[in-house]
Amino acid sequence: MAPRQSTPPAVLACGEIRTCLLPARQALDIRSAAQLLGLRADERVLLSERPGLYARSPDTLTGVDCPLPSANGARIRAVGTVTAHAALTEGRVLQTSAHCRLPAAGPDQRRPWGEYLVRPGVVEPLGRLPRDAVAEGVLGGGRHGDLDVGLVADGLLTRLLRHPLLDQRPPFRSRPTRLRWVALPAEPGEGPSLERFTLAEDELRTVRLRIPEDTDGAGLAALCDDLALHDWLLTTVVRMLDGIRLGASGAEDTGAVVRALRPAVDHLLHLWMPGARVTRELAPLWDPLEERPGFTRQWQALVQRIRDQLTLHAIPAPHREVEPAP
Amino acid sequence: MLVFAASDKGGTGRSVTSANLAYQRALTGDHVAYVDFDFGSPTAAAVFDVPGAMRGTAEHGLHSYLEGETAEPARIDVWRQTEHPLLRARPNQSGRLVLFPGDAGGGEFATGEEALERCIDLLLKLNGEFDVTVVDLSAGRSYAVDMVLAATAHPRMRNVPFRWLVFHRWTRQHVIAASGLVHAEHGIIGGGVDRGHDEDTLRAAVRFVRAAVPDPESPLWSQGSPAQAAWMQACDEALRRLAAEHRIGDSVVLGVVPLEPILQWREQLITEEDVLSTQIANKETLEALEEIARRLTDDTHWGRP
Amino acid sequence: MSDAVFRETAAEPRTQSVPLAHLSLELGHLYMEDFEAGPGRLRRHFEEVRPWAEAARAAAVARAGGRRARISTCFLVDDYFTRFATPAEVVPMLLAEAERAGLTVDYLARESGCAVTGKTPVAEAVAGRIVESPVPGSHGGRPPTARTGWLANGERAPVARAPQAMKRAAPWQPPRETAARRHSVFLDTELWNDDADGHRTWSCPFLAAVWQLARLGLLRDAGEAVLVPQQHTGTGFPDDWDDLPSLVRLNPRADPFSAYRTCSIVPNRFLPVEHAVRVVLDQIEVDPGALAQVAERSGKERTAVPDSVADRVSYVFYAGP
Repeated sequence: MAPRQSTPPAVLACGEIRTCLLPARQALDIRSAAQLLGLRADERVLLSERPGLYARSPDTLTGVDCPLPSANGARIRAVGTVTAHAALTEGRVLQTSAHCRLPAAGPDQRRPWGEYLVRPGVVEPLGRLPRDAVAEGVLGGGRHGDLDVGLVADGLLTRLLRHPLLDQRPPFRSRPTRLRWVALPAEPGEGPSLERFTLAEDELRTVRLRIPEDTDGAGLAALCDDLALHDWLLTTVVRMLDGIRLGASGAEDTGAVVRALRPAVDHLLHLWMPGARVTRELAPLWDPLEERPGFTRQWQALVQRIRDQLTLHAIPAPHREVEPAP
Repeated sequence: MLVFAASDKGGTGRSVTSANLAYQRALTGDHVAYVDFDFGSPTAAAVFDVPGAMRGTAEHGLHSYLEGETAEPARIDVWRQTEHPLLRARPNQSGRLVLFPGDAGGGEFATGEEALERCIDLLLKLNGEFDVTVVDLSAGRSYAVDMVLAATAHPRMRNVPFRWLVFHRWTRQHVIAASGLVHAEHGIIGGGVDRGHDEDTLRAAVRFVRAAVPDPESPLWSQGSPAQAAWMQACDEALRRLAAEHRIGDSVVLGVVPLEPILQWREQLITEEDVLSTQIANKETLEALEEIARRLTDDTHWGRP
Repeated sequence: MSDAVFRETAAEPRTQSVPLAHLSLELGHLYMEDFEAGPGRLRRHFEEVRPWAEAARAAAVARAGGRRARISTCFLVDDYFTRFATPAEVVPMLLAEAERAGLTVDYLARESGCAVTGKTPVAEAVAGRIVESPVPGSHGGRPPTARTGWLANGERAPVARAPQAMKRAAPWQPPRETAARRHSVFLDTELWNDDADGHRTWSCPFLAAVWQLARLGLLRDAGEAVLVPQQHTGTGFPDDWDDLPSLVRLNPRADPFSAYRTCSIVPNRFLPVEHAVRVVLDQIEVDPGALAQVAERSGKERTAVPDSVADRVSYVFYAGP
């Protein structure tokens, strides 16, 4: 078979991110973070201290050979590798992120494996790619046996959570989230855009993007990691506030409110920095989310509520008991 | 907090009672997971009145998960997916109640090293997400009991608190069997020590629930003759002595669930509605369940007897 | 974030480049039994090798389109599985016998350097870069048949596992080569084994795969080149293998050690090992930075290099001892 020197341009990129609280009593310092995320003996963990502690593992690859999910039921087989990495923000929020790019068409038969390995993160269809159907299929979730990059992210998360560095004592109860994304090519001359951000189920979010053809794959994944991180922060703090019984009185309830809200102050409130690690090219994709519903607006309201609650409960109970008469 | 529900024999009402405990905890605002490790007979979905189709599609249940066939076990949000009309209206301020079903048609299986690791992954994940996780175990000295004993002795789980509830009926055979399950040579405590548990700590984490106990005082029996009442008293006394002799006496009992037709026949959750409006369930039963649920996390009821 | 004014070096990857020849020509391996068989064995070996070495050179020149082809030669001595003699005894004899056959050994390598070089755990790092070829049906979950320390070119025969109660155990099925053409040539190779103390011994095929990657200029440790040749200085050779650098340049005018392609001339008893090497190489994701450097350099030189790393490797097997 004749060697094919260049990678055909991708017409679809997709990925999934798992975001969760690191199950450890203390946040990891940068040294321990590097230890946790050292997935490969010969590659550095990328460490960054501005604007906050952030550690990112080397990429790992997982081979796949299976049908692609598609909205119209077409069973297109595809072969290639899915890239995955893990990231730890402020030693506290752990993310695993898996993604791949797909070209418009591929050879009709599977090629020797070594030829796929020199194009990391590319999954090639056998034949033509029904792009839009696959994009919808990815977001909607495929059938069992279809390509599932979420499984790759999950596998990496499971591996990291088994690390002996973790004492398995999370400082508060929380739920992991999943963010699934697809990126389709933008119209020629158009910049990148965020078409849709959906809160699908309790734990699932889906994002649909349009990007110019030359967009860097790692930058795209970084943007989606950033969206997932901030969505998890919002989700987690909202649930924390949901769990407390407001307007309750008495010393016991004060204890309960402070116990419920304090972890937010200790572990989460300083993490909000949307766009901090997003390339200049993709940074504008945050704008529509900030405009409506206004992620930062909601975050600030939540932060204010937490601070108000804590202030209120710092007041001795008898003075707090001024319930408005009905 | 992990709560393991075990029993030596079938027919103790272990599944239905532990499901009711999970339900009661959720009502008080806790986030609760109910994990069906009754591998030979995975029927928890019925207790929560989850539709048949739901059960049929649970091919990604716990069997598949532990055998490595599926990465994440199926979860069923009980408030949202139950067909029980009263449960659908999720009570205000209640916590989440999530069922982890077994595979439809799954059977008992030998668990290996990889299944153990996956079991630990799951229990740790649930512990990070839920306030209380109730794990319903196959009856007897089963693979399920074995696996969770090994899991909780694993270094990764050293910081996860757990408690055991052993269910038994109030009969001679059941008392002896329940004691054997816990105290006999390869019972929960002996087997646990073999797997690395500290004997005293494990012993302090085991309590018994007497199920389907006829209460001689109950109006249910008030129609009986005086002779019958006296006989029941005497039997009850004898059973108490037997239980004490077998180290499962009152000091290690977390609660007593009265004989309750709705638990025996319908095998479902008992709601306040069942007691108050339709009055098909007894108030005492509901109160007993509420009390046991409360005691699950009340340290004064645990520790060395 | 290359567009930022603010930079953190620990947050940016980089890859060191290495000089590259067109062809790395391996003139043989030396194992203890070869050495014990006396200088006559080496003499016959080099006599056999010589015509094939000339053919390999001619082929490389032809591939370079008649331009001067940069070709370096190398020789590998096993000091990993068995320690025998000393460099002071072995190397001069080796060089003398090569010269007698009209061959020049540009570079000499020690096999243990493929396991660990200095403080760099080379073999362990390469093992961490194995990406198993997915059997059809792999959709992102972990391959259920993965076996630690082994690597296959296909799907292993399923292991009989106790089924769930009242379910039937699956009947026997044959293993299957993923890239089979009609019939399978299934190969399952041991990469390493651990002894009771947890000490790991890398297998010969695995170290040979590392050796090929070194010759292809594709090994990096945190972006730095590994197995960099050290110029041999002085007249003699040390009395301890550990005192000899992992890779020594014996010929100061030699072309670069690493090359776009490799060719190894070995007796045909190496055939099974080299088949295994190919199976390993086909499933290693080499450093993308190193790969890109080779692609860029070969592109500038208008020299075709196969995409697949395993296809950059070639052999001549001669009928020999």
